[in-house]
Amino acid sequence: MLVNRDTFLVVSATILAFFLLIIGFFILLGKPPFEMIGMLLTYALGDAYSISQTLAKTTPILLCALAAAVPGRLGLISVGAEGQLYAGAITGTAIVLAAPDLPAALMLPMMLVCAALGGAFYGYIPGILRARLQINETITTLVLNYVTVLWVNALVFGPWKDPASQGWPATITFPSAAILPALPASRIHLGLLIAVAFAIALHFFFTRGASSQKIQILAGNRKVGEMFGLNFGTWVIALMAMGGAIAGIAGIAEVSAIQGRLQPTISIGYGLTGFLVSWLSRHQPLIILPVAFLVGGLVAASDALQLFAKVPAASAIILQGMLFAVALAVPGIIKSMRPGYER
Amino acid sequence: MQKAIACFENVTRRFGDLIAVNDANLEIFPGEVTAILGENGAGKSTLMKLLYGVHLPSSGRILINGEPSAITGPADAMINGVGMVFQNFSLLSALTVRDNLLLAWPKTPYWVSENNKGTKEVLANLTRLAPHINPHSKVSNLSVGEQQLVELCKVLNISARIVILDEPTSVLTPAESRRLHGFIRQLADEGVSVVLITHKLADVEACADRIAVMRKGQIVDVSPRGQKSMSEIVTLMMGSDVKREISPPALPKKRVEKLFLNKICATAPGMSLKDISLSIAAGEVVGLAGVAGNGQALLAEVLAGIHPATSGDVALDGISLIRRNQMETLATPLGYIPELPRKNAVVENMTLAKNLNLRALASGKADVNNEVQDLLTRFHVNPPEIDRYASTLSGGNLQKLVSARELGRPRAAILACYPTMGLDISAIQMIYREIFAQAEAGAAVLWISEDLDDLIAGSHRIAIIRDGQLVAVKDNDGKLNRDTLGAMMTGLKPERKVA
Ligand SMILES: Nc1ncnc2c1ncn2[C@@H]1O[C@H](COP(=O)(O)OP(=O)(O)OP(=O)(O)O)[C@@H](O)[C@H]1O
Ligand SMILES: [Mg+2]
Repeated sequence: MLVNRDTFLVVSATILAFFLLIIGFFILLGKPPFEMIGMLLTYALGDAYSISQTLAKTTPILLCALAAAVPGRLGLISVGAEGQLYAGAITGTAIVLAAPDLPAALMLPMMLVCAALGGAFYGYIPGILRARLQINETITTLVLNYVTVLWVNALVFGPWKDPASQGWPATITFPSAAILPALPASRIHLGLLIAVAFAIALHFFFTRGASSQKIQILAGNRKVGEMFGLNFGTWVIALMAMGGAIAGIAGIAEVSAIQGRLQPTISIGYGLTGFLVSWLSRHQPLIILPVAFLVGGLVAASDALQLFAKVPAASAIILQGMLFAVALAVPGIIKSMRPGYER
Repeated sequence: MQKAIACFENVTRRFGDLIAVNDANLEIFPGEVTAILGENGAGKSTLMKLLYGVHLPSSGRILINGEPSAITGPADAMINGVGMVFQNFSLLSALTVRDNLLLAWPKTPYWVSENNKGTKEVLANLTRLAPHINPHSKVSNLSVGEQQLVELCKVLNISARIVILDEPTSVLTPAESRRLHGFIRQLADEGVSVVLITHKLADVEACADRIAVMRKGQIVDVSPRGQKSMSEIVTLMMGSDVKREISPPALPKKRVEKLFLNKICATAPGMSLKDISLSIAAGEVVGLAGVAGNGQALLAEVLAGIHPATSGDVALDGISLIRRNQMETLATPLGYIPELPRKNAVVENMTLAKNLNLRALASGKADVNNEVQDLLTRFHVNPPEIDRYASTLSGGNLQKLVSARELGRPRAAILACYPTMGLDISAIQMIYREIFAQAEAGAAVLWISEDLDDLIAGSHRIAIIRDGQLVAVKDNDGKLNRDTLGAMMTGLKPERKVA
């Protein structure tokens, strides 16, 4: 059951199709395709530095994917991870700016909790709008994304700007007590550990125990759930806020461990990438884990490729797009080609 | 001899280990109405889904006009002049009737407007079949029976040469059924072949030309109507002759009030309930008669704590059981069988075991108890496999599954909406037995139905609902009959109010 023949077939066909597309893409760009693919692999996994880059990208993608998966389990379509990430970055930074002299033992937990609360609040708003007023959560989360990005701009251009930075829009550099610990000489930081722990915890939350059944009932048939005393609205709010909290942690992790201060661009579309990873993995945390790693590698490698092989800047996005398109299309195509196809 | 328009040759369809259709041979002729009878799970729906291309045969073949059928999906089927109305249907409830019809009409251009020239053409069949349906009302405001008729119009609009109807009359009122019968005959006279899957022998008597009987996946008999008596046919279907008999338990001597509805008001889009009051005693069976779409569904949801009431109260043994607003939650203590169980009562992507244990699961008890297997057997749910997904059950067996959950244990009160819809004769007997056993054990029973004969035979009192109001509550003292009830339901002969 773990790896049956069908899964194997689907996965290998998907990878094959993806490689064919990449080859075509590089030929179109006028680059030698196999050399480019070799470089992609090297930049993703070739040495300790590449692996550290890959894992640094994996972390926010993984967290954002989990943030979409949590409400996704109830059948909600939340595209708000990006905004929640920024919200977490703001509230997490707020505590650092308010009490810059706290010792690390206090600072780190408080910073993470504040970020989670900020993200949670930012999931709570569309949650309550959906639960009480039947306002579509996809639209509200989408729109709210733009709002937080602007909030960050307003803050770092305004009250939070470091006076010493001479016009550069950013806060002060975080004190070392507020920097998430990382492996020496790498960008692999505590955030990754947290993300993996969340994935495993969510796996159990969604497959074992009482809540998992309640969520499954409500997702499968809301009326039946309500007939037996489950409140759809309450669960919408709870899961939206929970997803928001996870994305919020992604935000502060980027700010603290990668950038060292709050500045306008924290995320390069991690929220949307995470959303796609989650849907590709059917909101299953244990599948999200490897998929996020794969996509993280692709993002890191295409960044490097852009730098060293002079491919256009949009290549990273195009490669990602091709991966998602193939991963969505191939299983369906294979299924419909099979004789006696389940209908 | 006439040439068959469709012909099944040794057709078999498996689902995993289960053989749903086993080596079936059947011919369908133009201008004929073929009725397909058989117990729940016999394979009737599957057989016709094979013709319609929803499923493909595992072996054997289907010929259309003598050629091997090229139908591999419903879209193909429509192009080939095959139309089907399913047991559970596929209208878009947010759109109007007219827009639904336009969407399904092959000639519709992609812009759809009020002045579209096609509109008249598309609505022609609706006017013929169901003149009372307003083409501009939203599908979500239609009763189940009306939706069924709109589905049928969709099929008629594609000028199908083969029209398949899967238990159409189970959701129709007697008047609607009669109109449908006439319509089916008319179609056949125009040369269309009609396949009619049904559990109602009245349908067969009213319009079938030939009767095919299925049992456990096989076609055990095909004969012209009239050649065999109805009891012979029932024996072929069920393995033995089953008589319909309904005998409610005697009322307890002392009247103990159990379920009390006090001036309930509620509103939903297109429907509102006004001051509904009714008191049901322990051991009493109260039938609620009414033309579908007069507030029964809303009343049931208010009683079950799903839909909030705007005022009034419902108490079971003095304890209130309704919701006041959307924020409150309440697990209903009623044994509640909603209408359309596939949509309203099961989680299709959960197993039978879990569906039987939804109460426990929803209240946080994670383990599934072990009387599940007994329940499946006791309520004849077929196949009785606890790990099967509810989505794979046949229509009738799904209905039995819900009854097993709601009637399988003693309840203080029962609320049953059309509990026998889509069931075969022996299953109907079983469900009535179980409901009456609950009453005998002291439950208050509210039984919503359109089947007036059954209501008269089985209830102690009959309440009539019209336009969201109870227009009468009558003792069933032997003087009630179809006509008096029917008149009250439709309001044609209004009862003089006794103030
Ligand atoms: N998609 C499916 N997967 C697995 N089993 C199925 C599927 N569809 C139908 N079956 C099984 O095939 C058998 C025949 O089902 P079918 O729906 O044809 O019965 P039916 O004669 O229409 O019954 P009813 O009168 O209850 O509607 C049933 O045992 C059912 O459980
Ligand atoms: Mg059926």
